[in-house]
Amino acid sequence: MPVRPILERISDPLILLHSGMKLLRSASGPRVPPGCFLLPLLVLLPCASAATGSTTQTLTATIQPAAKLSVPAAVNMTTTGGKFSSFQASLAIRYRVRTSVTGGGSLTVQVTSDFSPSGGPSAGAGALLYSCSGTTLGTPCMGTQVAGTHAQTPVVAIPAGVCTGGGGACSSADPNGVTINFSLADDPDYLTAAYSAQLTFVISAT
Amino acid sequence: MSRNTMIVAVAGAILMLATTAKAQFNATGTTTLSVNVGSDAAVQISTGSTTLATTGGAFSSDYTGQTAFIYKIRTSAAGGTGSITLRVTSDFNAGGPSVASPPTAGDTLAYTCSLTSPGTGCSGSINALLTASTSVATFGSNARSTKAGNNGSVAWTLSNDPLYATGAYTATVTFTISAA
Repeated sequence: MPVRPILERISDPLILLHSGMKLLRSASGPRVPPGCFLLPLLVLLPCASAATGSTTQTLTATIQPAAKLSVPAAVNMTTTGGKFSSFQASLAIRYRVRTSVTGGGSLTVQVTSDFSPSGGPSAGAGALLYSCSGTTLGTPCMGTQVAGTHAQTPVVAIPAGVCTGGGGACSSADPNGVTINFSLADDPDYLTAAYSAQLTFVISAT
Repeated sequence: MSRNTMIVAVAGAILMLATTAKAQFNATGTTTLSVNVGSDAAVQISTGSTTLATTGGAFSSDYTGQTAFIYKIRTSAAGGTGSITLRVTSDFNAGGPSVASPPTAGDTLAYTCSLTSPGTGCSGSINALLTASTSVATFGSNARSTKAGNNGSVAWTLSNDPLYATGAYTATVTFTISAA
């Protein structure tokens, strides 16, 4: 077979097969490049297919502040003390957060739907109190807070440059957590009934 | 269960848990806070002890005194009831007045009641008993006191019988409040 047709078709292994040549294969490895295959036959043919090169690719990731939380869907307040002692409940909130070195974050709560039916306790009247404890990242709310219907009130203040999980610069806990201890006075003036209210928690980070 | 089936089941459970855990985290979260407010009642005697004294001349007047109390109550809105009762749980010591065995028939420890709403005080004079509770106040349905409690009192009258030996005598009276 003339050399020129082989050179013209050398890049196509299928055509090489059609020319009656066999591709060399290792026992289990990849196929040997066609150029190398021809080296014993055509000494002047450079091993063009084995040439290697390198280039670089810059990968950029912008890590933004982020925050998410998880709260139980429902919690029941009960009284364990004496007559007309306050109703109590504890609510464990889990959260993950990352703040920038100049930013910060917060976890707040608001009563978005007051106790119903009417005739019972009213968060709008300041009946629902809470305190915060067990925070694994950030600063819990100070003392006793009043959960209101008109504004978010603090649960956790998250400082700048912190993150959840992994240890080191971040917290060792993952997720982070805080416990809110609710207290509702048992006023004799409440009508006997089952009451419920809805609370919305919001977490943010910058 | 075969090994493969078990592996698939465990993998499925892990996947489900991972999916659930991820889905729980959001920028906001809501929770429903529930409380069941039932009927309840409490009473507190405002004074630790009540002294009965006579103010008139010799045997011209009985011993009298007053016991004040504060009550809190909440009865059911539908068909609720409540009551305050009292009972002499420890009679006067021997030689003097006695609720159970007065030296003279007709000697009594009697009382009248005064009560602020929502309760209704007992009517007229009632003899306190050792053997049974007697009424101080009654409450209807949906009776609710103030948060601080409402006031009530019992005015005592103890017969002044010359047969009583001189001395200091004490008895214990127990007040009970209930609500339904």
